[in-house]
Amino acid sequence: MSAPLLEFRDVHKSYPGPEPVPVLKGASLALARGESVAIVGPSGSGKSTILNLLGTLDLPDRGTITFDGRDLTQLTAQELAALRNRQIGFIFQSHHLLPQCSVLENILLPTLADANHSAPTAEPRARQLLDRVGLSHRLGHLPGKLSGGERQRVAVVRALINRPALLLADEPTGALDRASALNLGQLLVELNREEGVTLVVVTHSGELAQRMARTVELRDGKLEG
Amino acid sequence: MNLRTLTRRSLRYHFRSQLGVLAGVTLAAAVLIGALAVGDSVKGSLRERALERLAGARFALSTPDRFHPADLADRLAAPRSSTLLALAGMAARQDGTARANRVTVLGVDPARFGDGRLASLKEDEVWLNSSLAQQLQATVGDFVILRLNKPSALSRDAVITPRDDLSVALRLRLAGVLADRQGGGLSLLANQAPSLNAFVSRSLLGKAVGLEGLANLILVPPDGERPGGGLELLRDQLAQVSDLADFELNLRTNSQSTELTTRRIFLESAVVRAALALAPSTAARRQSEATPILTYLVNSLTHGDQLTPYSLVTAAGAPYTPADLADDEIVVNQWLAADLGVKPGDSVALTYYRVDAGTQLQEFTNRFRVHSIVPLAGLHADRTLMPEFPGLSKAESTRDWDAGFDLVHPIRDQDEAYWKQHRGTPKAFITLAAGQKLWANRFGELTAIRWFGGNPSSPRPAPGVAGESTSPLSVPELRDTITARIRAHLDPADVGLVWRPVREEALRAAESGTGQEFGGLMLGFSFFLITAALLLTAMLFSFALEQRATEIGILLALGWPPRRVHNLLLREGLALAVLGSVLGSVLGICYAQGVLWGLTTIWRDAIAGAGLEFHLTLTTLGTGLALSIAVAAGTMFLALRQQARRPARELLNEGANESALSVPEGNRGRPRLAALGASVLASGLVVGAGLTPEINPQMFFGAGAALLLAGLLWVRVWLRPAVVPAVRRRASQPSYLGLALRALARRPSRSLGTVALLASAAFLIVAVAANKLDATRHAEQRGSGTGGFALWGESTLPVIQDLNTAKGQEFYGLNPDDLKGVSFVQFRVRDGDDASCLNLNRAQRPRLLGVKPEQLADRGAFTFTRFAAGVAVTNGWQALNQPGSDDGAIPAIGDAASIQWALKSSVGGTLDSVDERGRPFKIRLVGAVANSILQGNLLIAERDFVRLFPSESGYRGFLIEVAAQGAGQPASPPNPAAHVVGAEAVSATLSRALQDVGLELTPTVRRLDQFNAVQNTYLNTFQLLGGLGLLLGSAGLGVVVLRNVHERRGELGLMLALGFERGALKRLVLLEHGALLLLGLLVGGVAALVAVLPALGSPGAEFPWRSLTLTLGLVLANGLVWTLWATTRSLRGRLVDSLRDL
Repeated sequence: MSAPLLEFRDVHKSYPGPEPVPVLKGASLALARGESVAIVGPSGSGKSTILNLLGTLDLPDRGTITFDGRDLTQLTAQELAALRNRQIGFIFQSHHLLPQCSVLENILLPTLADANHSAPTAEPRARQLLDRVGLSHRLGHLPGKLSGGERQRVAVVRALINRPALLLADEPTGALDRASALNLGQLLVELNREEGVTLVVVTHSGELAQRMARTVELRDGKLEG
Repeated sequence: MNLRTLTRRSLRYHFRSQLGVLAGVTLAAAVLIGALAVGDSVKGSLRERALERLAGARFALSTPDRFHPADLADRLAAPRSSTLLALAGMAARQDGTARANRVTVLGVDPARFGDGRLASLKEDEVWLNSSLAQQLQATVGDFVILRLNKPSALSRDAVITPRDDLSVALRLRLAGVLADRQGGGLSLLANQAPSLNAFVSRSLLGKAVGLEGLANLILVPPDGERPGGGLELLRDQLAQVSDLADFELNLRTNSQSTELTTRRIFLESAVVRAALALAPSTAARRQSEATPILTYLVNSLTHGDQLTPYSLVTAAGAPYTPADLADDEIVVNQWLAADLGVKPGDSVALTYYRVDAGTQLQEFTNRFRVHSIVPLAGLHADRTLMPEFPGLSKAESTRDWDAGFDLVHPIRDQDEAYWKQHRGTPKAFITLAAGQKLWANRFGELTAIRWFGGNPSSPRPAPGVAGESTSPLSVPELRDTITARIRAHLDPADVGLVWRPVREEALRAAESGTGQEFGGLMLGFSFFLITAALLLTAMLFSFALEQRATEIGILLALGWPPRRVHNLLLREGLALAVLGSVLGSVLGICYAQGVLWGLTTIWRDAIAGAGLEFHLTLTTLGTGLALSIAVAAGTMFLALRQQARRPARELLNEGANESALSVPEGNRGRPRLAALGASVLASGLVVGAGLTPEINPQMFFGAGAALLLAGLLWVRVWLRPAVVPAVRRRASQPSYLGLALRALARRPSRSLGTVALLASAAFLIVAVAANKLDATRHAEQRGSGTGGFALWGESTLPVIQDLNTAKGQEFYGLNPDDLKGVSFVQFRVRDGDDASCLNLNRAQRPRLLGVKPEQLADRGAFTFTRFAAGVAVTNGWQALNQPGSDDGAIPAIGDAASIQWALKSSVGGTLDSVDERGRPFKIRLVGAVANSILQGNLLIAERDFVRLFPSESGYRGFLIEVAAQGAGQPASPPNPAAHVVGAEAVSATLSRALQDVGLELTPTVRRLDQFNAVQNTYLNTFQLLGGLGLLLGSAGLGVVVLRNVHERRGELGLMLALGFERGALKRLVLLEHGALLLLGLLVGGVAALVAVLPALGSPGAEFPWRSLTLTLGLVLANGLVWTLWATTRSLRGRLVDSLRDL
């Protein structure tokens, strides 16, 4: 078996306060390249915390997280930002598109993160992905003109623009109607396969979780399954 | 897609929410650039005025007290120069309905003055400058009466000088009005007040005052060919071409000798030194060749009961006196010997008035032993030994004498006969040393120097005065030799012929005066307005950023490094800063125009009526623009830094809510300790200030500032949730108040910032208001700014008499009964630059007043603020009598404000000045008086004054005390009522009686009020602009409300969902922010009142309760209106929707 893309080892995380509240109590997880995983668990179990740690938006109190063999806790903020930009794609429950930018511009936003890194192939890729998600006719539109499902698909394309190795989705269908949610779930699975990207979905939706190759449950601060 | 596109898109999309930021930046830039433009305008206008008043001159040879032949300029080969005769005078309409004092009457060559506008000026015509024409309300064709000071050959302070021939009147037709920029405003003084000038033909003026063909002012325009070396060149040329007549010297030859005399009667020491200077190799021999002579009029020569009145006595060496004549011996002529019945060995008493005692007539007597009797013939029968005393020399009879004093000894027939036959032939001779001991004076030490030679009838062989040969010289050779000798050894500057770089001086005065600080001053005044606008900008920018928290979070989550996100937002901010500053510069120009309008109308007092035009240099505009952009961008940078510190997950989770839920705990003990410390400090300072015997404003201000700090620190302590009383006590039972206070404690730094801004602004506004001055308060007290005097007077022509004496009063036709209880302090005046706050130029040569220090010391007049090191504090005015320091500096006292602002100096500092002969001397500022009517002047001791300015005769400045009616004791404190009522009657009486000397009287209260008006207007301006800042600050409170409510929309939505009414929520928000507003005003107001306690009780201070209450009330109302608006706006819409974000 090849080395995992991302590995959690005995990760601990607490919320600060007069009495720190432990959320993760030695969670461990290994994600292989191209794998799709659903993380499920009750509200307040720490799913979003897991996602923030996976996405390098947060760091553990204890334990190690390695991404492609690199210990994330040892990286600087700049290195983490670069990693996030090149290797990780985010999809949120809310689409979080910039209302002032067109669909295409929103998708190209990650390519602007690094001033020294030009991405001449980004726009053709954006068009290709938009075509793939059925929104090529909407690329000049502002987010305000799109439906909820369309916005979320744009967010998915944005997450993929830099060809990330890891795609993180936080309740991606949470704000969508059933039909849109089904479509988006299908899209994510297809893209996981087509792009070879590791997909991690945090969700309450059993339907969506079932579409993933593996389901991990977060219980009592530990990942099981 | 690139960063620029994204910035542009963001700006366009968020434009509406950024409009407030743009408005804030625009406002800050407008005020900043406007203030700088006002500074430029004042500077530019002062520079223009400075150049206008020189009528195109770059250099000037100005000798107000000396007159040289008018052809001097021609000899100097200064082709475009103007030669003028400038005299002080008064002007009036022929019908007497309007008059003007302190007018300068300028005699010009019509064809050679200015741009030739006066070319048509005829002998019976006058042109007035616009200011004078306006004051006289005269139009072309009207007749104007000019009354002129008639310069006397000998100072009016000399005993032997006519007293009643001071002025001459001219009736002239007004032929035109000369605008200031056409040369009409000609003045060499760097003064703010417009000069009053009348232009007449120089030949007419010369004839009228007996100075035909003479002038005392040469104006030389810039020389394009020699732009750098003009002054040196003119100095050299003057030294080369100046002749004896230019030094007011006269060389005349009679049958026996060649004689050097002066129209000033007494030869000055520099002239004497030059005339007697010899080549070293032959010095000893030639010293004996010139015969210095001093002839003076004695009141009487007595022997026993025999008295010969009013005789001339000559002090000289050989050949007039024998070589063995001792200093206590006298040689009398036969006539006198017969008249007194004396013979050699007898004693003769010689009685005379001190030469420069003026009208005080101090008589002295010296005894001499008769050495010998000489016949009234030959050398001893020389009537030319008598100088040409004005009033005596032309008199045909003793009855025609106008000696300047009453002849108390009867003139006998034999005296009349002697005068008719021998005129001023001296009746007695003493040694030169003895004569100089008696009669040498501040005007000079000799009346003539004679050389016997160049004539076969000379009693001695004609000496080779300058040549190496000892053979006798012819008369022309002798005259040439003497002239050459004087020219070689007398620097024109020694007799006051000094070129002044007037253009340079004027520009220096304009460019280093308080006017230059106007831009800075306006910036200072606008400080709060700018700060408030920037704070508002920062708040709005932060608010806009908070609303875009998710957007920032996305960028961070997408892997944008925080610095790049920061840069993106900063680019937006920078774009807003640039756009706002450009808009602000346009608005700033309008703002500056508005302020200029204010400064020339409602705030006219602040600049003492100076005409101002709009000026703005590109440098200033560029600086202002750059500064505005930098300040605005800096403000946004700081706001951004706060925002960008927040992590992406917090921003993505609508972090505002998350952070709003967490209340910073911090260290509870430290703020309390700091608050306690500040409270103890404030109390200590208050108690300390109270216990100090002298009022110490600094201590009180320190106490006030400490109290402000303590108040804010206590607010900080109080704003902690664990401390807020309502929260602590009723934690289980929430109330509106409890909820409001708890809400304030959620963002303690934001709440504290709001309170601090309001408190600081209130503190400054109240503190500033308390410093306003009221001239009428305690005006009758000696220690007040009026010195207890009721009237301030200035005359155009000197008053020679002592107005405190019955004789002096009678001279001007005053009835001593009308002046009971009235006493005068008279000042000698050397005109100079007005060193008061009414002059925006820097006083280069301040006006000097010579005073007898004891007259002010005895009265304890005015309050001293500071003395220089080494001056005993109890000394007061006597400090002027202290012996000069090693550097020979003259001690001077001035008004503290004049010293600090107009002279840019300090007590203990020295200033450079020049005496009337152009010789530099130093003035040491030994003391300063507080807030007084003496502003604009420096006072020196009269004894120093007369030494430095011997030609300045009489008194032209007056402080008039009006004691309680019938008291008749000037030393007693005047009655306040009499001070005002009596002063009016005294003023009317004196103005009428001294009309011919152009006496202008001003109630001291009004004069002080004029000075106070400057400070008060500045304070008003500061208050107004500060008030605007405070209003803007309270508008900022509205933004705080918006932000607070926006952050808590979920919470408020929840309350709505829980059944609270919308009105209740509004009350809650109003309550919490109204509390901030009140707290700020209260803390600032109370602290300010403590700070200004001394000002409230000091003389002249006026506390404007009404306007202050109105201002603070307005601020409170404005704050409440904004709070209400923001609350209403924030609570609009479906608050419940926000619950989804919870």
